[in-house]
Amino acid sequence: MKRREALQQAALMMGGILSAPTLAGAMGRITNTGPSIAVSADQESLLAEVADVIIPTTSTPGAKAAGAEKFIVRVMRDCYPKADQEKFYAGLAKLDADSKTKFGKEFVALDPAQKNEMVKQTMTEDKPFFLRMKELTTTGYFTSEIGATKALEYLPVPGQFNGCMPLKPGQKTWAL
Amino acid sequence: MGRQSYRLSDIDFEANAKEGVAIDWPIRYKDVAPWYSYVEKFVGISGEKLNLPQLPDSEFLPPMEMYCVEKEVRKRIEKNFPGRVMTIGRVANLSKAGEAQLGVGRAPCQYRNKCSLGCPYGAYFSTQSCTLPPAAKTGRLTLRPDSVVTEILYDENKKRATGVRIVDAVTLQPKEYFAKIVFVCGSALGSTAILLNSKSNRFPNGFGNDSGELGHNLMDHHFRTGASGVWEGDLDKYYIGRRANGIYVPRYRNIGTDKRDYLRGFGYQGGGSRTGWQRNIAEMSFGADYKDELTKPGPWTMGLGGFGETLPYHENRMYLDKNEKDKWGMPLVVFDAELKENEKKMRIDMMNDAKEMLEASGLKNVRSYDNGSYLGMAIHEMGTARMGRDPKTSVLNANNQVHGVKNVFVTDGACMVSTSCVNPSLTYMALTARAADFAVKEMKRQNI
Repeated sequence: MKRREALQQAALMMGGILSAPTLAGAMGRITNTGPSIAVSADQESLLAEVADVIIPTTSTPGAKAAGAEKFIVRVMRDCYPKADQEKFYAGLAKLDADSKTKFGKEFVALDPAQKNEMVKQTMTEDKPFFLRMKELTTTGYFTSEIGATKALEYLPVPGQFNGCMPLKPGQKTWAL
Repeated sequence: MGRQSYRLSDIDFEANAKEGVAIDWPIRYKDVAPWYSYVEKFVGISGEKLNLPQLPDSEFLPPMEMYCVEKEVRKRIEKNFPGRVMTIGRVANLSKAGEAQLGVGRAPCQYRNKCSLGCPYGAYFSTQSCTLPPAAKTGRLTLRPDSVVTEILYDENKKRATGVRIVDAVTLQPKEYFAKIVFVCGSALGSTAILLNSKSNRFPNGFGNDSGELGHNLMDHHFRTGASGVWEGDLDKYYIGRRANGIYVPRYRNIGTDKRDYLRGFGYQGGGSRTGWQRNIAEMSFGADYKDELTKPGPWTMGLGGFGETLPYHENRMYLDKNEKDKWGMPLVVFDAELKENEKKMRIDMMNDAKEMLEASGLKNVRSYDNGSYLGMAIHEMGTARMGRDPKTSVLNANNQVHGVKNVFVTDGACMVSTSCVNPSLTYMALTARAADFAVKEMKRQNI
């Protein structure tokens, strides 16, 4: 299959729902050839905490355990132009500042209920940041080893195809 | 090769002559049919027999299965729209490996849908998996990668080609290779660029270009228009395996008594799928419930996307830039081509018919789209060194032989006289095998 067809097919498989940069990032591509902003260890830790509120540990490990923050940092750097990166990390900084205003503590130091409340507040007050963070977290999580093999059902080499069969009770979404 | 594999029919081969468009194909279906079979038995094409005049059946391996939603939509399309059918895609994946395939070390499809990475099982047709291994076994194969062919060498006295000149892509050194016979099969645009760059006293305007048609009649399919919708049923149904294939709706426009305000027609590729973890990304939700919801399969969806025929227009062309060259010394190729009225009218049907069929089949929230298409987008480039009976209006004869130079053959998309609406690679392969057979016979008769 030719590359362009492969990309189209991947876009089709993804339901055309993911934004183009995130889709490119999920495929390991580098589409931002311009400059990028430097991301600190503190910012990365903060990303991990926010991601873990969006996809928490339940009966399966959550986004932080899966290392979703590493995916987010890489895809923002490799696939989004610098202007988008600045907007995104400004949104992250705002969330942290708002946490201090509201609870007198940095986001990472909040308890689970407070973290939840702050993400909820961001969802209404900074929708673009929330949706980008949610998209990157979700994509990073479900394409990670933990997300694909623990939260979803992972079958790398099916060896067979049956297109029309009963859904088994408790059947999870295919990871691939 | 893009794996989707369909035969042209006499409706395609006769269309130019019947409609007075461009020039007639110098061949008919019966000339190629045995070569389609020859190629298909070797390559392995999975699909379903339909006995349609507009889409002749191949030598098929077992068809891949449809999803439940596809099976139901198929029934409803065939009931609501007599003359239209929906079938599983005909694809160069081994649904079952026969002796011809096992013999070259290929295994059946594992349904990973990782064809784009190159298949370690050799389960879909590719040069690497299928044709090079047996060629290597003859002991007479020399692979010369990193060779950029810049021109075909011509001997004015002998009136034949003597070989090719290349530039080594790594060292940038030129080198010449000599041969009794030259097959040019470098993809439509690559082949024609080489021909255009091969100038001699005999051929001042490009190799074999007595007609002035070399570089002209550039074609491609046009696509990126159709519709998709949501299927509310079958929530208790699922699948196993990742089918690297979709469904196909063969052409039905301007067939039989159907008559439109444009010429030719289109087919649809598409299929059903069950949405997964991507589905609620744009919604205002997060947390444990959001996560758990995504670990369960979502609703089914189904889409149809048209692939339309593009007419051959003399003025749609490629040519070599007079000044600019690439790092290997080849002039840059310039394109000057556009879709015209016939294609634009056809696209209206391509979009509306898809919506109409999906709605009539019971899909909900059906949305149609036309994302626009230009020549080159579908990467099914055809034409620019077309076949024909008359050397005054074509570059190649009915055996893909350059008019006037018996030992040079061009057997890729460049030779096409019209595009049909089906994926073209299978036809290139059949024409290549046919031309190779002809060339060997001619060599034995000492005509080449």
